Amino acid sequence: MLQYAAIAMLMLGLYGLLTQRNVIKIIVSLNIFEIGLNLFIISVGYVDDGIAPILTSNFNNNGLIFVDPLPSALVLTAIVIGVGTTALALALANNIYQKYGTFEIDEMGEE
Amino acid sequence: MTVELLIILTLVLGLVSYFMGRFNKVYGAVVTIIASMFVFISVGYMANDILDGSTFNYNAVKYLPVFATFTVSYLGIFFAILVTFVFAMVSFFNPFFVEKYKYPAVYNMLYIFSLAGVLGVFFTDNLMVLFFFFEFVVWSGLFIIPLGKSKKAAVSYYAFSTAGSFALLYAIFIMRDVAGTYNLYAGLASVSGTTQGTYVMILLSISAFSKLGAFPLHTWLPAAHGNAPHPFSPVLSGALVKLGAFVAILALVKLAPVGDLQSVFGSYTDATFLYASQYAVAILGAMTIVFGTLMAIRQDDAKKLLAYSSVSNGGYILVALSIGGSVGLAGGLYHIIAHALASAAAFLAIGAVSRVTGTSKMSELGGMIHKMPITYMVYLIAIISMAGIPPMGGFISKWLIFQAVIDNGLILIAVAVFFGSIGSFLYVFRPLAALFLGQELPQHKDKAKIPPFFMLLPMIILSLLIVYTGVFPNYILGFINDVMAELGVDALVIGKYTIQGPNGVLHPTLVASVFGVGVLIAFIIFIVLKKSRKVGLMDTYTAGNFIYTEELMHYSLDFYAPIERLYEKYINITEDFYKKLENKVVDFGRMVKYFFFTNKPEVTVFWIVVIIGFLLWGDL
Amino acid sequence: MSAILLIAVPLLTAFVSILFKKYSHYMLIAVSFLSVFALGYMDLETITIGGFDAPFGIVLILDNYSLIGLYLVNILFFIVAVLNCKEYKKLSSILLVSLAGLNGLLLTGDLFNLFVFLEVAGIAAYLITTTNKKPLATFNYLVQGTLGSSLYLLGLILLYAMFGTLNMSDMAREIGTSGYGAGVTALPFLLMFIGFGVEAKLLPFNSWAKGILASSNSLSGPMIASVYAAAISLVFGRLLTNVFVIEGTLLTIVMGILVFSLVAGEAMAFSSKKVKEILLYSSVSQAALVVLVFMTGFAGWAVYLIIGNATAKLVLFLVTNIAAKQLGDDEVDTFKGLFTNNKVVGLAFTAVTLSVVGLPFFFGFVTKMNILENMFLSGAYVWPALILITSFIEGIYFIRLLLNLWHTDGDSPEVKFDFVLKYVVVVIAVLTMIFGVYTKPVQDSADDLVVYSITEGGNF
Repeated sequence: MLQYAAIAMLMLGLYGLLTQRNVIKIIVSLNIFEIGLNLFIISVGYVDDGIAPILTSNFNNNGLIFVDPLPSALVLTAIVIGVGTTALALALANNIYQKYGTFEIDEMGEE
Repeated sequence: MTVELLIILTLVLGLVSYFMGRFNKVYGAVVTIIASMFVFISVGYMANDILDGSTFNYNAVKYLPVFATFTVSYLGIFFAILVTFVFAMVSFFNPFFVEKYKYPAVYNMLYIFSLAGVLGVFFTDNLMVLFFFFEFVVWSGLFIIPLGKSKKAAVSYYAFSTAGSFALLYAIFIMRDVAGTYNLYAGLASVSGTTQGTYVMILLSISAFSKLGAFPLHTWLPAAHGNAPHPFSPVLSGALVKLGAFVAILALVKLAPVGDLQSVFGSYTDATFLYASQYAVAILGAMTIVFGTLMAIRQDDAKKLLAYSSVSNGGYILVALSIGGSVGLAGGLYHIIAHALASAAAFLAIGAVSRVTGTSKMSELGGMIHKMPITYMVYLIAIISMAGIPPMGGFISKWLIFQAVIDNGLILIAVAVFFGSIGSFLYVFRPLAALFLGQELPQHKDKAKIPPFFMLLPMIILSLLIVYTGVFPNYILGFINDVMAELGVDALVIGKYTIQGPNGVLHPTLVASVFGVGVLIAFIIFIVLKKSRKVGLMDTYTAGNFIYTEELMHYSLDFYAPIERLYEKYINITEDFYKKLENKVVDFGRMVKYFFFTNKPEVTVFWIVVIIGFLLWGDL
Repeated sequence: MSAILLIAVPLLTAFVSILFKKYSHYMLIAVSFLSVFALGYMDLETITIGGFDAPFGIVLILDNYSLIGLYLVNILFFIVAVLNCKEYKKLSSILLVSLAGLNGLLLTGDLFNLFVFLEVAGIAAYLITTTNKKPLATFNYLVQGTLGSSLYLLGLILLYAMFGTLNMSDMAREIGTSGYGAGVTALPFLLMFIGFGVEAKLLPFNSWAKGILASSNSLSGPMIASVYAAAISLVFGRLLTNVFVIEGTLLTIVMGILVFSLVAGEAMAFSSKKVKEILLYSSVSQAALVVLVFMTGFAGWAVYLIIGNATAKLVLFLVTNIAAKQLGDDEVDTFKGLFTNNKVVGLAFTAVTLSVVGLPFFFGFVTKMNILENMFLSGAYVWPALILITSFIEGIYFIRLLLNLWHTDGDSPEVKFDFVLKYVVVVIAVLTMIFGVYTKPVQDSADDLVVYSITEGGNF
């Protein structure tokens, strides 16, 4: 189920990137795409009835099923990178606004 | 002296001339004389060796890659000695022209580099090495041409030459694939008569056509020859174009012909041994002849006129080589010599004139005979040879070609060949009349003077050789017989002073002596009879009116206007074709730029979605 | 010396240099020089990080292939850094990050780790391109780059879900033994291909390239077109030869993309009237050619093609951008006669261009002939023909450009090139000529490279 939600978000992000011509909206679309991607990664590692793959000393969980820990670790990295690019994109959006006085790409004209 | 060493030495001399040229322009140009004379003499020694029957397979310089092997064949030596001779003769002109160039030192270096490249092409038995030097000649010539008048000419030279070299390269790969080796002879032998052989022949023909400037790949040649620096035009026309003839021999003589014409046209042609491939090349050659002639007739620039005559003569070479047989091949090879000598001499003469006048346009020149009589004689002898009139070399070769064409019953081609011959009467004498005869123009009166001795020397040597090839062709024909024996063609039957054709015997020496007597009589009449009175150019009136624009009275302006009107609508067809082709590429480029390169990220996203969609479409 | 230092030291220095802004450019020069220098003391080995053996841990692979790539990228990076360190002092920390990212890209043997380095290098690249003062173009680059690497990540996760590994050679082995058809892996591979295609400037995915390179400066131009392009192509090559299985529909799509990039790139360059545009479109086409050569399986020659292109593009973009800055724009008409007053730079530029075009006596001829020969002998008759046609067009516009730069009817423009630049371009030009004639080492090592480029992966 989670996969379908993630894929829907990916599609939504792509749709946004295709149709939007506003700098901020493009950034938002990109974020939606990335979040969909992150969800998708998590969903790949998900196991039915699995528990968080954390080894604790006071609770013996040897016999239980873990979800795959690797995708979770990957998502952590991907989120960090996503935040970095978003910040950079927003900084650029600020630059664009200062230069053109608008966020609409159509109003900036071809160079 | 091994071939590698010679080539390497030549390259080194090229660098020497560059540094000499940086130091002193003229000294650098003198190095080109020394280098090209040195190369010519070395090649002469090789020729001497091969005639003594020594064996040749040089591979002495061990630091070269293993595949860089060289060999001296009769065919190679035939071309090499001719081309290096032209280089050597023309190099005498360099010191007198080099000062005007923008980059004189570079000119000197590249002049010698192209000489080295030519040597490499003719003396290798390895196809890859052949291609290497083929391209080397292209790029070294490429940077010389724009030192003349036009950059565009250089670009179109590069475009057509490269098209030719790439066709050659592809043919080389096919041969390599079949033969498993880059050896020239093994490669040609292995594809001969197979399906791949057909492709190889087509590709080699494209290469030969583009280098030789034959229709329809000729458009670069007039631009390049006409706009190149004056000393480089004779090299282009007399030497570098002959690379095309070399490739044509590989394609037409060394490969087995393709397509049996006899079974298709059996009853319509008497061409008993002509194949479809040879016939196609011969037809294109014939078209080249006609086209070159018609275009040459309407040129105003003397160099362009000679350039178109080179086109037309390239057609003769193709016709002769494609007909083949002992007479045809001998005619073709002899025509290569005759045309190289004549066009080199003619270009040099025009170069000598434009050195002092600064123009080679016929309508702006006249009466140069008064100050430059020897140059006039050189040009006269050259054009007599070009027009194929005895007693010059061009007559012998054209006689042989006519014999071959008639003997095979090729009526269409015969018409073209005769048309070209008559046409060349029409055009080659125009520069003679316009540049040299007539009245002296006031603007050039003070500048014109006898060229310096070292410019006259090569021109005189070339003229003497043109006469020699016309009067005593049999020594050279003997060498051509050796070349033909190597190519596996029966020898031409020659006596001590006679040439045996299929339809009769030619006595060149006799013809020449009859001509000599005629000229002598004319000369006596000239001496005995009254001298004509010289009048100034402005001393002209028509219908009692003084003429203000005397250029319009120049009788070589629009000389053949009535003939030109017949075909002037159609002259640009090939040029337009290439122009349109170029525009198509540009349009395509612009279109892609317009569709794909905007400042919006959505284009990329769109294509990503489309491509992923395409993949999934196939799967679902 | 461990290869991990090539990543760690620049990254560490980058953060340290933020504290000492005054000296940051000295740090940049020192570190980039040291990393070139240190390469000489590296042993060929596979490094496991954190004590986790492959395929569980991340491995760095230092084999002949990555070593040659590291040399190339580090040397080019050093040159660009030295030439620009004064003018773009502020960017020193970012350049250090990008050096770490590029070295990591070349070294890593782990697919996810590759994504991380791709993003690190990518973010540094976006920041480098901000020096163009075209925020919209940079934004465009950022969006496409991020989308591309996200798609790469998506493909990667799909592969992980199928095969349960992220290690390159382990992945290749799993794919080989799994018995899945090409249809199953086609989607993830396509996604990864697109992800790299965006970075490598393949045609439908590269609309950022014009905005970035057509207004580039002496830092961003050589950096993106030469250093980044080389690194990305090399990594792309490793994936193509070792991991990707491209068959069936995917092969059709990929070949379609490559042919289109190859032809359209040359056509676009042919129709351009600005020097930078000519260079950038020709590099689109060359990127496609490199990928094509990798695809057809001649990794060794593809590497030499990359080396030739990267060094050539370095010289071309450096000279062009410096001249464009002084002349105000980069129209060919403005550039006419540029070299009449700068003969040394002109000769080097000419030599490098002739090498790109592939004329004899230059390095480009050797690589091009060998690629064509190998392709032809492997039975692919169409590719050589296509390459010949495109390089025919390429030759025409480059020669036209060269003649325009040497000859002018009017006054020739005055441009000053500083000594260091002259020295660099001349050395590169001379090297292209030397290796164009003395081909033995190139020939021999190319064969070696083909053998070694099938990596030994991790030590398991």
